[in-house]
Amino acid sequence: MYSDFDYTYDYSVIEFTSIGKNGAIPKRVVFTETELDNVYNLAFGDIDENGEIDDCRISDNGDRNKILATIVKVVDDYTLKYPNRWIIFTGSTKERTRLYRIAVGLNLEELSRKFEIYAFVEEELKLFTKNMEINSFLIKRKND
Amino acid sequence: MINFMIMEKVLRIKSDFFDQKVTYTYKKELDKLKGRVLAPKKLEEANRLLRNLKTPLPK
Repeated sequence: MYSDFDYTYDYSVIEFTSIGKNGAIPKRVVFTETELDNVYNLAFGDIDENGEIDDCRISDNGDRNKILATIVKVVDDYTLKYPNRWIIFTGSTKERTRLYRIAVGLNLEELSRKFEIYAFVEEELKLFTKNMEINSFLIKRKND
Repeated sequence: MINFMIMEKVLRIKSDFFDQKVTYTYKKELDKLKGRVLAPKKLEEANRLLRNLKTPLPK
């Protein structure tokens, strides 16, 4: 995982740099308030030439797993700071959502010790299980 | 216990998920993004899902 981050005072924006075969690529993770109280949207992507998130770009930097682990780390730390917030996240494409589903599924036992993990299935929320066909995730830190 | 005191410019955090310390550096320029809707399409998609949700959020 990457280990050097820049952050805002409220931790709503975190940036780091992907280093790989295509060079150094700046990345941004954003947590944004949604219309529903206490639910925050997680967006992630490259920072484009205009300083905006481009979550559709395929940077192909050869560090996909490292990036995924970094996002987990950022979410881990964000939910430590805001333990009562729900985080919703979706891949920017069906393929990316599938990638996230596989990654969460492979690490479900470990992740479930720390997070409540729900999935949007059609228009319902269900506890996430491996191989479930989903639209998006909704997670929250388990509070002791 | 992790402390996120924002007065500190640099935070070094180790969590039980990964056996690796990470460093968070407060970057004042990023605060200028406050108030801007970042990743608006993603946000709209999230809001649409939440609006159409037929089950309540878990307690």
